[in-house]
Amino acid sequence: MKRPKLDAKTLWMIRKEVREVFRSRWLILGFIISPMFAWMFQGAFLSFIVGQTSEEPERVYITIEDNGTLGRQLYEEIYANRSILLIDPLVNITLEEGQQLVADKTISVWILIPENFTQELNTTAHSTLQIVVNTASFRATAAASRIDAFTKLVINIVVREVQVDWYTISPEANYGHQLAIFLVMLTSVIAPAPYISKSFAGEREAKTLEALLVVPMSRVKILGSKLVAGLALTAIYSVFTAVGILTYNLSIILRVGNLAPELQQANINLYTVNAYTIPLIMFCQFLLLLCAIGIGVVISCLAKDRATAESVNSMVMLVPTFVIGILGFTGSILQYGGVLQWIILAIPFSHAVLFLNAVLAGTGTLMGLSINIGYMIGFTVVFLFIGAKLFEREAIIS
Amino acid sequence: MAFEEEVVIKTDGLTKIFEKGKKRQVIALNRVDLEIRRGEVFGLLGTNGAGKTTLIRVLVGLLTPTEGSAYVLGKDVTEGIDYIRDRVSLLPQEAGIYDRLTARENLIYYGGFYGIPEDELNKRADHLLEIVGLKDKEHYQVKGFSGGMKRKVLVARALVIEPEIIFLDEPTTGVDTLGARVVRNLLKKLSSEQRRTIILTTHDLNEVSELCDRVGILNDGKLIATGKPSQLEEKFRAANLEEVFTGLVTGEGVYGGSTP
Repeated sequence: MKRPKLDAKTLWMIRKEVREVFRSRWLILGFIISPMFAWMFQGAFLSFIVGQTSEEPERVYITIEDNGTLGRQLYEEIYANRSILLIDPLVNITLEEGQQLVADKTISVWILIPENFTQELNTTAHSTLQIVVNTASFRATAAASRIDAFTKLVINIVVREVQVDWYTISPEANYGHQLAIFLVMLTSVIAPAPYISKSFAGEREAKTLEALLVVPMSRVKILGSKLVAGLALTAIYSVFTAVGILTYNLSIILRVGNLAPELQQANINLYTVNAYTIPLIMFCQFLLLLCAIGIGVVISCLAKDRATAESVNSMVMLVPTFVIGILGFTGSILQYGGVLQWIILAIPFSHAVLFLNAVLAGTGTLMGLSINIGYMIGFTVVFLFIGAKLFEREAIIS
Repeated sequence: MAFEEEVVIKTDGLTKIFEKGKKRQVIALNRVDLEIRRGEVFGLLGTNGAGKTTLIRVLVGLLTPTEGSAYVLGKDVTEGIDYIRDRVSLLPQEAGIYDRLTARENLIYYGGFYGIPEDELNKRADHLLEIVGLKDKEHYQVKGFSGGMKRKVLVARALVIEPEIIFLDEPTTGVDTLGARVVRNLLKKLSSEQRRTIILTTHDLNEVSELCDRVGILNDGKLIATGKPSQLEEKFRAANLEEVFTGLVTGEGVYGGSTP
């Protein structure tokens, strides 16, 4: 295949394609509304969660197996600060009762101060406090987080230099960034479908493709011009994603405004998207859009009409996106081994998730990030190449 | 190859076969030998599926011949297609128009591919839109136009690049009587005054009789007759071209023999 050059005819076609795209009011509107709606919906949703986690008290169970002073002191501090910690009521239960509640799956939060807690801290400066939490409840999870932080505060004041050993925290990005990753991925893979379907299968269906393919311009250039118009649309999409993220952040900041200062910052840190990371998110979104366009071109060149192209495109895009999205919300998408992991890694959108998560959580390595970017670019190039080959077939006009 | 100067289209044993799965083939063109000269208006006649559109598509390089050869303006369609496409224009059979562009923009857009300066394009667009009676609607998006109006825009679009050869696949289908008359007069003028070659397919035999210098009748991919309408009527002892066509295609009522 010859390498296409950007000549006057190509620019002419790009101009027309862009002009036509910008006249499709509903298409443009979709590209503006989709990211805005996604983020505004999340803003409203998280306002609800903020209310649940920062204003409403949670029932917390506590068991003290420790006979020492530190266990008792920790209990008393928690009891004295119930209103700040949004605990109501704080229920004392035995170990057996706690285990029964866990078995019945009716527990919200249960703090277990283990036997020898004080002794271990005094002798080895190391002990483990167990918190059982119903993670299906945002309120319970938030209460557990507050107790987690509060316990560290109490123990560090009482016993200087002491280290409290907690269960490890997964090296994942915060909730706001997880949300950004999911929404960016979901909306990016769906967004180009209407344009791509219209531009290829749609042109064939409208019978405009035949006359277009007779003009003195190579098919690769025609294809390239259409892709440039697609990129113009994705630029709109990216801009409004950034606007959407900032609107979302603002809604969270406004929502937590009436909370205590320490809660304000905790909520902002947890739920908002750091504005400095927006360019990074947009870069990843660009790669994702390219991947989606590449796949869309292949589907559109094979589909008989626009409706088929859009249906197949939605199916091909949505199924892996939802799988990865759901897996992503339950933790790292790489926690699954075996064949499932290889399947996940074969999907280009997984690499966008891995890339963003690694960068936003600060756990990325140059090698890992390069592989993620390289895979997405390579995938796109391969699909665009296949698309170009399909576009050159005789059957494209029939 | 030795190419006669006046012949602008020449096919030798041109065959196009479509593979339909592993077992089935459709022979769309079967050893078609054809010569068309500069300035001629050549009518391609045939029933639906006879191979008219396939022949045009091969000549403009949209389809590759399976066997045989096709030369347009002295260039082999499989090798010199860039040269050919710079000099020919196609009006496809089915409405292929950009609905979101205005009538004028459709013409300008198409002309832009041929490196015509925008000033010149605008002049040509003015002239053609005037001729086809759409000057007062030039700034309207085409999506609101009737089928006939769209067809007129397409005819104007095919002519805006002033091609040496114009392929028109059923140019007046859906156009009202007066509009069809305008299109026919325009084509006659292009042929007689500017020596442009016009190849058109149509089902309207009156149109063929009025417009075409010569006709070719295709049946099941074979070119079964070529000649001037009057010559064919005489040869097949028919009262009119319709009798010739019906007789040749159905095999009934033609007395002068079969293929020439």
